[in-house]
Amino acid sequence: MSEGAMAVVKPEMKSYIWLQTADGSIQQVEEEVAMFCPMICREVLQTGMGSSKNYAIVLPQRVNPPILGLILDYCRFHQVPGRSNKERKTFDERFIRMDTKKLCELTSAADSLQLKPLVDLTSRALARIIEGKTPEEIRETFHLPDDLTEEEKLEPLRNITDDPRIRLLNRLYARKRKELKEREKLKSVEVEEERVDERSVDDLLTYINSGDDKGVRANKSKKKNRRRKDPLKDALSNKANGDHEDLEAVPTACSHSEAKDLEVATPHKALKLQDFPLGTFSPKLEFDDSYMDDDLDPAMREELDREVEDFARRLNPDWPERIQEILCLDRPERKLLPVHINGTSSSCACISLDRR
Amino acid sequence: MAYSFPEEVLEHVFSFIGSDRDRNAVSLVCKSWYEIERWCRRRVFVGNCYAVSPAAVVRRFPDVRSVELKGKPHFADFNLVPEGWGGYVSPWITTLARAYPWLEEIRLKRMVVTDESLELIARSFKNFKVLVLSSCEGFSTDGLAAVAANCRNLRELDLRESEVEDMSGHWLSHFPDSYTSLVSLNISCLGSEVSFSALERLVSRCPDLRSLRLNRTVPLDRLANLLRRAPQLAELGTGVYSAELRSDDFSNLVGALAGCRELRSLSGFWDVVPAYLPAVYPLCSGLTSLNLSYATIQSSELTKLISQCHSLQRLWVLDYIEDSGLEALAACCKDLRELRVFPSEPFNREGNVSLTEQGLVSVSEGCSKLQSVLYFCRQMSNAALLTIARNRPNMTRFRLCIIEPRCPDYITHEPLDTGFGAIVQHCKDLQRLSLSGLLTDRVFEYIGTYAKKLEMLSVAFAGDSDLGLHHVLSGCDSLRKLEIRDCPFGDKALLANAAKLETMRSLWMSSCSVSFGACKLLGQKMPRLNVEVIDERGHPDSRPESCPVEKLYIYRTVAGPRFDMPDFVWTMDEDSALRPS
Repeated sequence: MSEGAMAVVKPEMKSYIWLQTADGSIQQVEEEVAMFCPMICREVLQTGMGSSKNYAIVLPQRVNPPILGLILDYCRFHQVPGRSNKERKTFDERFIRMDTKKLCELTSAADSLQLKPLVDLTSRALARIIEGKTPEEIRETFHLPDDLTEEEKLEPLRNITDDPRIRLLNRLYARKRKELKEREKLKSVEVEEERVDERSVDDLLTYINSGDDKGVRANKSKKKNRRRKDPLKDALSNKANGDHEDLEAVPTACSHSEAKDLEVATPHKALKLQDFPLGTFSPKLEFDDSYMDDDLDPAMREELDREVEDFARRLNPDWPERIQEILCLDRPERKLLPVHINGTSSSCACISLDRR
Repeated sequence: MAYSFPEEVLEHVFSFIGSDRDRNAVSLVCKSWYEIERWCRRRVFVGNCYAVSPAAVVRRFPDVRSVELKGKPHFADFNLVPEGWGGYVSPWITTLARAYPWLEEIRLKRMVVTDESLELIARSFKNFKVLVLSSCEGFSTDGLAAVAANCRNLRELDLRESEVEDMSGHWLSHFPDSYTSLVSLNISCLGSEVSFSALERLVSRCPDLRSLRLNRTVPLDRLANLLRRAPQLAELGTGVYSAELRSDDFSNLVGALAGCRELRSLSGFWDVVPAYLPAVYPLCSGLTSLNLSYATIQSSELTKLISQCHSLQRLWVLDYIEDSGLEALAACCKDLRELRVFPSEPFNREGNVSLTEQGLVSVSEGCSKLQSVLYFCRQMSNAALLTIARNRPNMTRFRLCIIEPRCPDYITHEPLDTGFGAIVQHCKDLQRLSLSGLLTDRVFEYIGTYAKKLEMLSVAFAGDSDLGLHHVLSGCDSLRKLEIRDCPFGDKALLANAAKLETMRSLWMSSCSVSFGACKLLGQKMPRLNVEVIDERGHPDSRPESCPVEKLYIYRTVAGPRFDMPDFVWTMDEDSALRPS
């Protein structure tokens, strides 16, 4: 730092650098002390600022006057060349003793001034404060919010939303569910949240029921109370349980018949659902069989099936397989049960005939 | 108002926080800290490889440089875990290879490692530095050859206690001539010969070599030459320590050993001939670690050696040392932190050596820094345990193995409850405890009441009823691993304390009284546990539900049930439908 060294040292002609803190106040600091901060040094050299009160160097916002004072104390001590390591260490140990709030401010400020040795010193001190504490204690010390959900704290079991495909799915479902709820309010058709693919089916039902098919509606209302809590989350989190291991390992020779077992009802091509690995799975899907209308008379059911098929055809030509599955599950003799996605759909170990 | 930082600053603070516990705490503080922490986590330790899936790990931590995994339960060391149980590292290596091209360190314990995995490691990680395979199996020297040939930056290759198949291919020669970065090599477990000339050349060209543990086949008369090429060694494991040495060979050895002024740790000493022991005497005063667990020499020789090791911190020795040797240890080695005394003839009912509880008492009196003990003996008394407890409240690991099961206090013929009770009462920081001898439910009451920092407990042939298990599960706040064999513990304690199991890493129970029905119930009720029934008698359904299972391994997991189980292991799940393997 030749400029610093060339500074005239006669006391009455000592050089000063002018610094302005965020609150607008300006102070002058001995040149060699101020130049110890890389950020100030750069400003002086590159812009020529700091030579007078009117051209004070504006310090970063994180540097307020008291903190600047501390930093300058640090610089004042350390910029003196002759000191031994032991002296410096002793100074540092004493210097660092302050309350946590101030320590945080100091760390932040030192970082903005790029004063690496002080950043290291304060960071280490903060690390020592953090070590050995529980999360709760750390939150208290630093006044941090407790904003992780229970599910997130148990990550990665529940919180699998960092997988982009799943995140997108979640969003789609959330939106759809919201839409359905709104439609429900408008049309007073009771929508039951029980199945992952309810979007399509409920859409269909709404379409079908927009007439006055009271019989169906009545049936549905009877079983309305047996809602599942959070079908989507359960479905996807359970899916994710097994799917973690084999996200890449499973060959894409996954058959489409397996893919449709996933009950994820969207033709969204970007999601490439058939790429979801299926080999390993835990069947935690609980389907509310309130949707199962055992009381529907066969003629009604047949008509429903036809309407559904029609609608599906119109809705999306890629959907025949989807609908096929929905129709299968709609049949009385096949209750909605945990779908065990382990192997081919024919192995259906858990689609038993027992009533839930 | 939160004390806020820019992310880089917080990341810098986190860079000074290393321990897994602290990093886990940091990640649970709040959303932003969670995010920052996961991006700068460089080291991951997974204590049970089935607790989380590899995909979940790589998804959460995008830039990891060091991974440590453990597989089989600890009781696998005692042959209680049948062959084929699991612990396959292959899915992990596959995932890690894809996710972490900059991975530098892999440490595995009790896992099944294949040559394919070793080859994948060798190919995938350009900056690979450390491979530690502790008590692993399933691989051969071919896998090692791949690692040697490809890992240009390898620093550490440690095969401690692993079972390696010898394909006789001179794997050591596969280290290219340009390879010079070896720092630590442990091949002590290898049964077969290594090419000695390759070894010599390797040692010669690696100036940073600090730790060299040879296997038994390395002859003593070649040791001197090896040592002269590596005078900077800090840790040496000799090969076989016997030969027909001519006197100049012997003085050569003495000279070479003396030349290793940095040597702090010695091990090996297979078939040691006492006459050659003096060769290491010049090193004794600097030694901090001495492993004589293969040295079948008598007490007087051992004593002579140990009495010169004034800086000794760790001693592993056979019970040939006897009480007299331990007294000398207590007198001379004031810096001792860890003592392990292994049985020379564990299957011999009658004692063959004069090693009693007194030896341990002496050491507890004389060595004020003693905190870790593993002690095999044939008799113990409550009085001795009380003395030890009073002497050493700083004890953190206490594993006592009285060889005969259910052996009472040999003086009073009472159970050893009060003795172990004293241990847990006085040693407030006790982290690990192994029990033995005649013990009733009382000892578990003491443990549940006092052992608040206890993390790992091993129990065998102890207790009277479920109450014992209940005391432990309900009282030990820090318990992480519990392993039990041959105890009359049944369903009640287990089911009543089911929630506790989610706070622990794992529970092993073999030859106890836990019924199949209880296992099923537990599996049903606790989705975040894998309840694995191990039964080589055939499908548990072929027996009544009240029939106890052979072995039970319960562990918490976020990965769901595993699917790599052999046909004698079943996971109890929520449907209580047995899943075929």
